[in-house]
Amino acid sequence: MSKLAIVGLLLLSSAAFAHHAYTAEFDTTKPIKLTGVLRRLEWTNPHIWLYLDVKDENGKITSWGFSASPPGMLTRRGITKTSLKLGEVLTISGHRAKDGSNNASGNIVTFADGRDALIGQDQALRPAELASPPQK
Amino acid sequence: MRTRLAMLVALSSLSLPAAAQSNAKAVPRMPDGKPNFNGVWAGPAFAHNVGPNDTDTPVVTNFDPRRMAPLLAGAEKMFRQAPTGDVRHDDPTELCLPDGHPREALAPYAQQIVQTPDTIVWLYEYMHFFRVIPMNKPHPADVDSTFMGDAVAKWDGDTLVIDTIGLREWTLAASNQWHSDALHTVERLRYIDATTVSYEILIDDSKLFTKPWSQEFQMKLHPTWKLLEQVCEENNRCESGKCTPSDVQK
Repeated sequence: MSKLAIVGLLLLSSAAFAHHAYTAEFDTTKPIKLTGVLRRLEWTNPHIWLYLDVKDENGKITSWGFSASPPGMLTRRGITKTSLKLGEVLTISGHRAKDGSNNASGNIVTFADGRDALIGQDQALRPAELASPPQK
Repeated sequence: MRTRLAMLVALSSLSLPAAAQSNAKAVPRMPDGKPNFNGVWAGPAFAHNVGPNDTDTPVVTNFDPRRMAPLLAGAEKMFRQAPTGDVRHDDPTELCLPDGHPREALAPYAQQIVQTPDTIVWLYEYMHFFRVIPMNKPHPADVDSTFMGDAVAKWDGDTLVIDTIGLREWTLAASNQWHSDALHTVERLRYIDATTVSYEILIDDSKLFTKPWSQEFQMKLHPTWKLLEQVCEENNRCESGKCTPSDVQK
């Protein structure tokens, strides 16, 4: 499969998984990966929102919002509200909002101990999950 | 019309050999002997890889273009409607408008079936939609066009057959594919094993396709699941990609 085809598949997957068109809201040409402290969690529909306080090299803290999957989809996969703890250091990767604001999609979260989990809408990022049961 | 009816009969009969292969002893049954579909199900949009604590994996699921019949001449414009700039048309679910049938069946959320001898009630977690489907009744003579349509059901041996008409022109699937108000669907449910059901849906849209076509999916029973609340309007933000700081960074 060509790289172009893979990218196309990723975009199609993203568009199909959300309750809205992913590419209408997020710029898939602008991947982002930020580490910060989880300050706030909105466990709400149609998408959960996580807010990280991200410190830059000058010590300035900026708040970033990440939109991820809805509570129901996460719950079915074994991720619950208590899986994401306020005050915890998290690294979240996704794509920036198209309007350039400090908002992004949240696709994969990495915890301080190195565990990671798919919390976003892009299943193609974790193809192994489609073939085998999630591990405890 | 006669040709289209013949195709419908032929497509429906394709399911019979498979139905005959189902393990009759494994099929949960109602007191009247009919297969018992009561329960909460992971629909077609799950991987059905049941993990610890009865988990399952939501997965992108759409109708396979390779399964679709050829479009009628000139139907491409209706099937793939070009964006207009109006989100109400271009991406209506972003405004929390319904998926409608049959797209609702492919949403990666749980579904519950409540079955009595006279009625099938199909509850969809996504946007709290439902279908109340009488058994062995004809469609009303004058059916309004709605998002979920008018559905009636009957038994074909151990296969539950649901016939739906009265669907308004709406999105057939994500990725901006549409169906017309002539859409007629036939869903066929039959047990494969004690917790797995074949869900086959026939798409018959005489304004779009040269002939009916069908696709088979699977549903998995999850004994510990309950339907969850899913209020789309609860925290719907960034409509049309306008995701401003004041909108989000509250």
